[in-house]
Formats: sequence, C-alpha cells, structure tokens
Amino acid sequence: MSGNHSASGEEVRRHKVEGPQKHIVAFILSLALTIIAFAAVAAGDINTTFTYIILVLMAIIQVFVQLAFWMHMKDRGHMFPIICIIAGVFIVFMMVIMAVYWLWW
Amino acid sequence: MSAHGHAEGQLPHEPEKATLEGRNKILGFWIFLGAEVVLFGTLFSAFIALRHQVLDGPSASELFELPTVFAATMILLTSSLMSVFAVQAMHRHQVKSMIGWLVLTVLLGLAFLVLEIVEFNTYVSEGHRMNTSAFSSSFYTLVGFHGGHVAFGVLWISLLIAQIFKKGLTVVTAPKIYLSAIYWHFIDVVWVFIFTVVYLMGKVG
Repeated sequence: MSGNHSASGEEVRRHKVEGPQKHIVAFILSLALTIIAFAAVAAGDINTTFTYIILVLMAIIQVFVQLAFWMHMKDRGHMFPIICIIAGVFIVFMMVIMAVYWLWW
Repeated sequence: MSAHGHAEGQLPHEPEKATLEGRNKILGFWIFLGAEVVLFGTLFSAFIALRHQVLDGPSASELFELPTVFAATMILLTSSLMSVFAVQAMHRHQVKSMIGWLVLTVLLGLAFLVLEIVEFNTYVSEGHRMNTSAFSSSFYTLVGFHGGHVAFGVLWISLLIAQIFKKGLTVVTAPKIYLSAIYWHFIDVVWVFIFTVVYLMGKVG
C-alpha cells in the first residue's frame, strides 16, 4: 500500500516539475516585442506604413506568445478554448471590416 | 483504495482540474472569454472607424504620452507574470507563496489603475472629454472598459485571497485561482491590442 503511494507520489512530482523558466522566457519575449513596438514609434522618422506593419506584427506575435504560454493553450486538451477564441476573433474580423467599410467608404 | 489516494486530504497535482465541477468551470470560462473577445472587438471596431473624427478636440498624436503608456504596459505585463507564478505555486501546493504572488498581482493591478486615472484626469484637463468628439467617446469607452475589467480583476483576486485564508486551498478554491489567472492574462492580451491600436497607431497618426 505504501509502495503504491510513493509510486503515485513520484508520478505527481514528475508531472509537477514545470519550472518558471519558460514563463520567464515568455515574459522576456513579450518585453522585447513591446520595446520594439514602442521604439518604432518613438524613433518617429520611419515610414508610416512600415511602422504600422511593425506594430501589427509585434502585437500578433506577443498575443500568440501569451496565449500559448500564459493561458496554457499549447498544453494538451485545449482544443475547446482555441475554438472559442477563434470563433470570437472571426466575429471581430467581420465587425471591424464592416465598421471600417461603413464609415470610411 | 489507491484510486482514492487523495481521500486523506492530500491535493491532487492539478487541483483545478481534479473535479468535474472544476473542469466545467474552466470550459465555461473559455466560452465567456470568447464572448469577451467579441465585446472588445466591437469596441475596437468602433474606435478604429471613428479615431480620426476629433472635431475641435485634441488629436491622438497631440494627446498621448508614450512614457506613461509604456509604464502602464510594463506594470500590467509584470502583473501577468506574477499571476503565472501564483498558479505554479498552487500546483506545488505552496499556499503561502501563492498568496504572496496573488498580492503582488493585485498591487500591480492597482498601480495600473492609478496610472490610468491620472492619465484620464490629464486628458480631461486638456479638453479631451467623453463628449468632445467621436474619437474621445470611443477612446474612453474602449480604454475605460479595459480599466473596468482591471478593476473587477483586482476586486475578484482580492476576494479570492480572503477566501483562501478562510477555506484554504482545496479542489473547490483551486479552479477559482486558476481562472482568475486566465482572466488576468486575457486582460493583458487585450491591453497589447490597446497600446498598439489606440496609443502607438494614434501617435503615428
């Protein structure tokens, strides 16, 4: 009985050794992406379209980093959360295109 | 008997997913987050469509100050990291350090709110009110809604800390801690879009 217990205890420990390293990596990555975005704007004299592209790119990469690591979407069994967020993003895209089309053209 | 190894009060290694109720809460919370994406998306679409309609009020590039926004971004990002550490401490069943990380999360959230209130106050004194223009209305609605979410998160996590003191870390309280962390990260993700679309793109023009 006690052997059984220590076995499950070991299993628990093996499951559990998710250190902080990858979260710190995600944090540093987010930090770097944020600083690049702010620097691109603070620099000022870059071409406007190019700055926009940098900004959108940095935001999308950072969101993926945070969704994957901090919101555990890269972990197993997260198909449903991914479907939920994609469904939301799909509606948002239609909404943004509609609003912009409606008011600008 | 071995299947009931946790009967002596020992927590399973991922207490938030140990019960069906906990798993259902997580599932339901993701549906809620999908709806939150749509909520913020509509506010973003309104803001993007109206952001050049400034009338007599100040324009985005005159108004925004990058150092303040950068400080707010750093505070919220660090706060998000603190709540990751809280969940990791929870997985290691270290209740004291979990509470410590949660308290740091709340304090940084409060710092963010103070910064935002000061910022809005400055804008109002510069003639950028809720009813100044379509730009100002959509700006305050979008950024204010995010600030409201931060305020709710601060309140929620504070109450959870109180509940942990009262009831301890159990399979009932663990899903709440886990979900508050997910919520907090979501707030941070929304802020990524706000500082990009509202502040940085507003500054570029």
